Amino acid sequence: MSNSNKVAIIASNGGVFDAYKVFNIATAAAATEKEVAIFFTFEGLNLIHKEANQNLPMPAGKEHFAEGFKNANVPSIPELVAMAQELGVTFIGCQMTMDVMGLEKEAFVDGIEVGGAVTFLEFAKDADVSLTF
Amino acid sequence: MGAAKVLNAKGLACPMPIVKTKKAMAELETGQILEIHATDKGAKSDLAAWSASGGHELVDSTEENDVLKFWIKKG
Repeated sequence: MSNSNKVAIIASNGGVFDAYKVFNIATAAAATEKEVAIFFTFEGLNLIHKEANQNLPMPAGKEHFAEGFKNANVPSIPELVAMAQELGVTFIGCQMTMDVMGLEKEAFVDGIEVGGAVTFLEFAKDADVSLTF
Repeated sequence: MGAAKVLNAKGLACPMPIVKTKKAMAELETGQILEIHATDKGAKSDLAAWSASGGHELVDSTEENDVLKFWIKKG
C-alpha cells in the first residue's frame, strides 16, 4: 500500500450534520483501504465526546430532519464512531482545545490520541485527500 | 453466477453497504464472488468505485423492484 493512500480530515464543528459528514466520509474511506486520521478541534471535539455525541444538535430550523434520519435507517453517531474505530480510523483530539474547555481525555471515547496541530500535519503532509468539516 | 457468499445490505444507508461489503469480502478468497443486495441507490456508483479502488472486479449488476444486486469478484 503506497503512502499516497491517506485521507486527512479536520472536524471543527459540533452539530449532528457535521458529524455525519465527517464519519460517513471517514468510514467509507477506511472501508476502501485508505489510511484515515481525523483531527477534532474546537466544537468538533463534541463528535467524540462520550456524552455530547449521543445527542448532537440539529442546525436551527432543521429539526424536522430528525424524522428523515430515522426513516433512512441511518446509523447513530456513536455507532459510526465505533465503526470508524473498528476500521482503523485514527482519532486525534486537539490538546489546546481540550485545555481551553477544561476537558480530560477520559471524557472522550476510548482509543483517541491527543495531540497538537503538528501531530495532524505530520499525518496530512503526504495525504492525497484533505478535508475540513 | 456462482457466488461464494450473499450479503444482504437492503434498507441500509450510506456508508453501511460499503462497510458491510468490505467486511464480507475480507472473508473470501481471491477469485471468489460476493453477491450483494442493496436498496441504497448510491450503492450503484459507490460499489463500482469501491471495486475499482480495491482491485476487485464488478462482474455484473441488476436492478429489480428497487433492489440492486451486484456481483463482485475478489481481486
